[in-house]
Amino acid sequence: MLNYKNVITEEKSYTGLQMKEIRPVMKLIIRGKKREFLSAIGKSLNLLLPTKPNTSSKSEKLTALWLSPDEWMIHSNETSNYNNNDYETENLLNKNIYKTNLGAVTDVTDQFVLINIKGDKIFNIFETGSPFNFNDFKGKKGSIIQTILAKIDVIIHNQNQNEVNLFVRRSFSQHLFSWMNDSASRL
Amino acid sequence: MFVINCPYCGVREQSEFKAGGEAHIVRPKQPTELSDDQWAEYLFMRKNIKGVQFERWIHTHGCRKWFNMVRDTSNDEIKAVYKMGEKPPIE
Repeated sequence: MLNYKNVITEEKSYTGLQMKEIRPVMKLIIRGKKREFLSAIGKSLNLLLPTKPNTSSKSEKLTALWLSPDEWMIHSNETSNYNNNDYETENLLNKNIYKTNLGAVTDVTDQFVLINIKGDKIFNIFETGSPFNFNDFKGKKGSIIQTILAKIDVIIHNQNQNEVNLFVRRSFSQHLFSWMNDSASRL
Repeated sequence: MFVINCPYCGVREQSEFKAGGEAHIVRPKQPTELSDDQWAEYLFMRKNIKGVQFERWIHTHGCRKWFNMVRDTSNDEIKAVYKMGEKPPIE
């Protein structure tokens, strides 16, 4: 996280909606197909990767999101240090997964921006710009969806009732945030 | 516009997907022995049927996986969706 320049500088608040960027949060993409890959991850991190589509799993320190049958995103639950981009989890996975040829580990900390959205109007915003039907998604805690929001690829993680984490590629984040603000002002 | 049941993610809207042309085209075993016409036939010539067609699709804005689909091009009715490498469930 050296020389990290954050794109989203403000915390926005509307009636029934609060949006802010959470940073710095470690994010890793891990890919692998073998059964040994899954068990090696489980042993190294003490966290079982979700194999059921559109779900997530959580341990004390980490959260794993299902992205595809052979792809997951792991992010830390707590924010890390600003002056450090060397992560214990990444080093551990590099040693146990990458070096043993079980799968790939990629640091995407600075590639994705994590926007935390709270409030009872979250899905009203999403419904204005996404083709996905959020009716079932709303009630399922921990579910994941990769879809399009205002023509931008996003990953949405349902945290709790009225709280979601939204991951968006960094270069799109400013535009998406301003779009959401614009949209929120009209709800 | 129609919805597609992605074999990995479930029901999603068509705008999340991209079409990848005709499915089940087998690469010739000995390309060097083919004439230019035969090679062009393999490389460029595609059926464009009004009716039931076998197609490849990719879930670009979701799981980024390729899969096959049987679609009626006249009314966009999806007859079957199946993973890559699997045999078509209908003839």
